[in-house]
Amino acid sequence: MRHWSIRARLTVYYAFALALIILAFCAGIYWLIRADLLQQMNAQLSQDLSTVSRAARKEPEEAMEVAEEGLVTLFVLQSQGRVIATAPGWRHEGLQSARPIAPGIVQTPQHRVYYTKQGAAHTRDSRIEITVARDGEPLRHTLRSLGLALLAGLACALGLALAGGYVLAGRVLAPVGAMASTARAITADRLSDRLPVHNPDDELGRLAATFNSTLARLEDSFDRLRRFTSDASHELRTPLAAMKSVGEVALRDEADFAAHREAIGSMLEEVDRLARLVDSLLTLTRADAGTATLSSVPTDLSGLISEVADCLRALADEKQIALSVTEDADVWARVDPVVLKQAVINLLDNAVKYTPQGGQVRVSLAHADGRATIEVTDTGPGIPREDRERVFDRFYRGGKSRSSDSGGVGLGLAIAEWAVQANGGNIELADREGRGCAFRITLPSEKGGGVSSS
Amino acid sequence: MRVLVVEDERKIAESLRKGLSAEQYDVSVAYTGEEGFYLVNAQTFDLVILDIMLPGRDGIEILSTLRKRDAQTPVLILTAKDAVEDRVTGLDSGADDYLTKPFAFAELLARIRALTRRGRQEQAQALRVADLEMDLVGRRVTRDSQPIDLTAKEFGVLECLVRHGGSVVSRDMLAREVWNETTWVAPLYNVIDVHIARLRRKVDEPFPAKLIHTVRGVGFVVREDDK
Repeated sequence: MRHWSIRARLTVYYAFALALIILAFCAGIYWLIRADLLQQMNAQLSQDLSTVSRAARKEPEEAMEVAEEGLVTLFVLQSQGRVIATAPGWRHEGLQSARPIAPGIVQTPQHRVYYTKQGAAHTRDSRIEITVARDGEPLRHTLRSLGLALLAGLACALGLALAGGYVLAGRVLAPVGAMASTARAITADRLSDRLPVHNPDDELGRLAATFNSTLARLEDSFDRLRRFTSDASHELRTPLAAMKSVGEVALRDEADFAAHREAIGSMLEEVDRLARLVDSLLTLTRADAGTATLSSVPTDLSGLISEVADCLRALADEKQIALSVTEDADVWARVDPVVLKQAVINLLDNAVKYTPQGGQVRVSLAHADGRATIEVTDTGPGIPREDRERVFDRFYRGGKSRSSDSGGVGLGLAIAEWAVQANGGNIELADREGRGCAFRITLPSEKGGGVSSS
Repeated sequence: MRVLVVEDERKIAESLRKGLSAEQYDVSVAYTGEEGFYLVNAQTFDLVILDIMLPGRDGIEILSTLRKRDAQTPVLILTAKDAVEDRVTGLDSGADDYLTKPFAFAELLARIRALTRRGRQEQAQALRVADLEMDLVGRRVTRDSQPIDLTAKEFGVLECLVRHGGSVVSRDMLAREVWNETTWVAPLYNVIDVHIARLRRKVDEPFPAKLIHTVRGVGFVVREDDK
């Protein structure tokens, strides 16, 4: 039954329930009518008995007259176990040799069934036992017909119930089938299609609505994937195009060795750019696939930040940018230091990259309520309000002002976001009202080495 | 010195053959795992450069066969897989070093030099190129007997360049050897460039002969004459 369709199962359940009800109903009718008929029979027998008894009380012979008149045709009179009179019908029907098959019911050798009743009449000197009988066949015939009629009705009703149930279930389930075929037609290319919702409040409507919201999420992630793929191809194509043109031009020229060297060097630079891009993409792919394995070791965040700041200070110095570090000492967090460091490096590198000569970049580390906050602020042009949402998107480079000549490919912040989130933290762009950027990383942490190895 | 290169990618194999031959190595190339397996069993080499992903026989299999027979020959594995597990598998199977594709040829040469002189490397106390002298113990640098004041990182970069005397050092190598940065971090490239620029200002600008040269697209080299 588990392999049946819902329609078939519904139909069977329905028919089964209906059959039970009808069966109970038929049985009730049958028993009521049967009881009524038996009671009638009993009443007739009682009446016969009293007729015979009234006659027999005077003279047994008089009872025979009752038989002759045809008032009561089947009876026998006995006195002290001896038959004193028998109605002609009694013998004729062979009732003298009938055997009882149930209390008050006898069967003749000819297999006819008679209902009997016994009584007694008292004459002056003796007690006469009277047995009257009536043919049971008409009653049994009626009951048999009734039973057959009811069974036939039951069968018809069951058939109708099956057919009706099947049609009904089909009608109820038709929208599900329609939904399934619509859903089947929705492919990756047609993710914008939606299932029709006829009644949002019924079960099927809710099902369709749920399905639609799943589709919407799918469509969204497909869109992002498509955009990512097209952006990635574009970014890959740029260095390829440069390599191709530099190589071709160098081949055309009857140039000297130095010029060829120059061309090859230029191509190698593009190769480096490609390699860097592929590396970043790999990092993100691993992050998406969840196959990046992160360690979790107690890390001195203050040390990590100082290290990054010292490393990138050279870049800031070149642009006469004042790079300052303010930090609460001894803030620890359980993170993957290599991955987290990458996030901080990317943020700080961006800050230095986009801050004009003579600007300021500040890195701060604070600890409050079990959370460490790392903030990187700069005095660069900031990020336009309308772009805030997309800052962490892959290949976002913030319009023309942050174009590719800044050297990045627009994956730094996406990687930073992953790196922070993978370490159980959160990264956000704080509002600085046009006074540059402020990126804030928050991480669960401890002060004073409280997460020391345990 | 006999070097076996097992590499199925023909362009890479050919460039390795050319490049290593130019550096006076005696190079044999195997293009398949089977061929590499045969050569490793039949002949003796001073160094094996092994690609991990090979058709037929896997590089790791060749490596373990080689190790069963001979524990001495240094093996450097090349791999496009840069996942940590792959490196660990390679090193566990008996490789002495690994290099992730794409790699800089300069770096490969440096690794080969390091692998083949293993064990008999004398700890130099001082380095010199032309009139540039580096006192590694006292961390002092002089050129033409004039002291040059360098920061710790600048000293590290210069030392790394001079140590590889005459061969090109890539930015990746500098990142690894001076900044101890094994995971490759792009922003470091700019940092390295800044340090090179500063070194030039201090070491080269005051003097007529330039020692620090940029090989475009490859890296840097410290050399006496501008070839």
